[in-house]
Amino acid sequence: MFRTCDITGFKVDLKAEKFIRLNAVMAVVSLLMAIVAAILLVFTRYQPVHLLDAEWYYRLTTFHGLNALIYWIVFFEIAGLYFGSTVVLNQKFSSPIMGWIAFVLMVAGLVLSDVMILMGKADVMLTSYVPLKADPIYYLGIILFAVGALIGVGLFFANIVNAKRDRNVGETLPLFTYGLVAAAIIAVITLATGAIIYIPTFLWSLGIIDAVDPAVYKLIWWGLGHSSQQINVSAMVSIWYLTTFLAIGGTSVNERVSRFAFFLYILFICLASAHHLLTDPATSSAWKVWNTSYAMYLAVLASMIHAFAVPSSIESAQRRWGFNKGMFEWLAKAPWSNPAFTSCVLACIGFGFIGGTTGVIFGMEQTNIIVHNTIAIPGHFKGTVVIGTTLTFMGITYYLIPLIFRRKIVAYRLAQIQPWLFFFGIAILSVSMIALGQLGVPRRHWDSTFSGGPFTYTFNPSVDFFWTLMMLGGSLAFIAALIWVLQVVISVFFGPKVNGPEDMQLPISPLAPAAKEHKGFEAPGTLILTFLFLATFAVLFFINWKWLAATWWVK
Amino acid sequence: MSLIAPQEGWFQKKVSKDERMWIVISFFVCVFLFVWMVMWHVVGRQNPSNTTYKTNPIEFAQLHDAYVKKNMLGMDNGIPVVKPEPGSDVILMAQMWRWSPVLILKKDEWYNLHISSKDLLHGFSLQPSNMNFQVYPDYDYVLKFKPTQLGEAKILCNEYCGIGHHTMIGKILVIDSDEDLAKYGYDKLSTVRPGDSETNVTEDISGWTEEQLIKGGETVFNLKGCNACHKTDGTALIGPALNKLYGSKVKVNENGKIKEVTVDDDYITTSINEPQKQIVVGFENTAMAQMNLTPNEIKQITAYIKSLK
Repeated sequence: MFRTCDITGFKVDLKAEKFIRLNAVMAVVSLLMAIVAAILLVFTRYQPVHLLDAEWYYRLTTFHGLNALIYWIVFFEIAGLYFGSTVVLNQKFSSPIMGWIAFVLMVAGLVLSDVMILMGKADVMLTSYVPLKADPIYYLGIILFAVGALIGVGLFFANIVNAKRDRNVGETLPLFTYGLVAAAIIAVITLATGAIIYIPTFLWSLGIIDAVDPAVYKLIWWGLGHSSQQINVSAMVSIWYLTTFLAIGGTSVNERVSRFAFFLYILFICLASAHHLLTDPATSSAWKVWNTSYAMYLAVLASMIHAFAVPSSIESAQRRWGFNKGMFEWLAKAPWSNPAFTSCVLACIGFGFIGGTTGVIFGMEQTNIIVHNTIAIPGHFKGTVVIGTTLTFMGITYYLIPLIFRRKIVAYRLAQIQPWLFFFGIAILSVSMIALGQLGVPRRHWDSTFSGGPFTYTFNPSVDFFWTLMMLGGSLAFIAALIWVLQVVISVFFGPKVNGPEDMQLPISPLAPAAKEHKGFEAPGTLILTFLFLATFAVLFFINWKWLAATWWVK
Repeated sequence: MSLIAPQEGWFQKKVSKDERMWIVISFFVCVFLFVWMVMWHVVGRQNPSNTTYKTNPIEFAQLHDAYVKKNMLGMDNGIPVVKPEPGSDVILMAQMWRWSPVLILKKDEWYNLHISSKDLLHGFSLQPSNMNFQVYPDYDYVLKFKPTQLGEAKILCNEYCGIGHHTMIGKILVIDSDEDLAKYGYDKLSTVRPGDSETNVTEDISGWTEEQLIKGGETVFNLKGCNACHKTDGTALIGPALNKLYGSKVKVNENGKIKEVTVDDDYITTSINEPQKQIVVGFENTAMAQMNLTPNEIKQITAYIKSLK
């Protein structure tokens, strides 16, 4: 059963639409659970309040990690994969029965593992490093969820194969779906890696296997843990291209380059497990250097290519719309009233300047010594997965509500400021965590006054400033995320129905006019911005290596 | 054209001048970063070690106990203090929830630290220098350190290791010469010396006086790290306090049933050998680790607990 969208003209399979809705709803539920835990954690680590006791602090750290990093993101990605493989291609959903099985498995997995955590039977952190042991049902929950997600990814591929058969795809896929294919391929590799480590761990928790080697566990677990973040990166970048297209009719200035960059992700991104083993025993420096650099930074190169390709697609389209004055009129006159567009641009900036720079520097073999397991590490991934992926997903939801849920966005004015609030909240949170980590503050640590220990340690007094900043940033981000959740829930369930193009609050732009022949630079403003990025990176690079050189000698 | 098929001829389209410039620069940045990491192994002074030995928690704990007994100068807050010779092999054991021993090192001398864990993963986080390494059970990580800053350094744990994680903090003192020891109160360390009693498995201790047993018990108590959880001053953070315990009645939880037992030799032996059997009410969530003590050691510990008023 298809309906033809009166706004975009796409043929929408109603079955596909249902699964997109279901998965998106579960994503929002997961995010809500994650942020409630997050605000409690922030006010526990903020020592003047020190809200939770030690037990609940570690319990909710586990809970937050799992719901934020896995459930929110994967549910949203499954919704995105279904969208990209059916609606965009005018294609039917290949197997509704399998769609239900996938969804039920994923929900069952979420319920089992979350209940186990809240019952206090899995205080093991997201990473659950053996020999730390959780209840078998916790591992079972994660395995069920992963199997469900894998089926979802399989359905995505099936939809695309069918679209090819039904001639809904011509010579090649649209760029958005192409990026999702990259994400899906990485997802298969990642989830398979997860199975390799969670299944023996599950058997070990049941007493069937004697022991799981702790170093092998950590190596393979991060094959899941870090590589899965690259699913997010691919999905996020795909959505950036999508948003540019929807908001201003922009397209990649050179699709071959953009697609090549996605291809590089598939080839090299799965080496990232090494990022977490740089200061560990058992593996050699040769192995560490090769793997942590994704084979000489070829996956970083891919991100750098996107870092130019995404903003240049905006600049190029804007210039063709006539915003051609000077270097930055295209940026000043961009559609900042469109919350999806704002989210996309802010996510791009945050991901590059905070997440990307620290990711590369912290992921170098030697500089990792000064940040490993400090709070700078979660600071870094607040800069990638929260300001990047989460904000991007939040942004594109503003299009999903009218197009897929067919509802108007309630209190639209609030939606226009929400991306800014969230961006600044997380940026402050993230930067202050990075600063704290560089001063030695550990992550996942209940009491930085070490009460009850044989000795004590007083951090550099400037930590007080950064703790306060972190608390403020965290609170702001929490409020912004809560606004988003409430707005989405109220709009989807109680919002006025969308009856046609006239009810669209977010504009959908026609394709930008073709360029007049011109020589020289396609996007000079973008080039300046990317150089600014490079300069920031160089400064941070220098500070970190200088700091490292001042520590004890070690070999 | 992210939602529709790309324009005709997209695959042949020339890359624009600025994009090409950016890709070439990016590529060279990537190569530079890679070469930098490799070169730091040649010219840099801070490189993670490549030396690891396979071990196991029991073997490493024995190694630690023997090393500490041989070299201990005294105790600092219940943790043995050792002053290793420059250039020597040093044993540093992580366990729930302490780093043992405390080390006194000389500035600008090399030491081979063997670091491993007795139970879970731990994180070696040296402050204020801020150097962080991962510690595993089953793997002996050999890090060659040369301290370059004088004064007290602390070792935090930055890998989650259970409810007492935040209490896990160790100490390394870096000095220029032995005269500096007085400055840090290390000229007169507390005097429980390992030579005073032996806790050897094979040794016959049946002839020991009560006083010898108590002293031996105190050594075992500190060496095995009991004091990480059990205080002797009445405070109960992670495990029950051990003073005024012997002879008293305590409520325990046995398979979900609450009952009252008297603390005697049998109870202490059972608590050490099977820590999960009878758990004192209120401490159900902070499970005690299996300590693997010999009967001789348990006898001495019992005498020590009896003596704590």
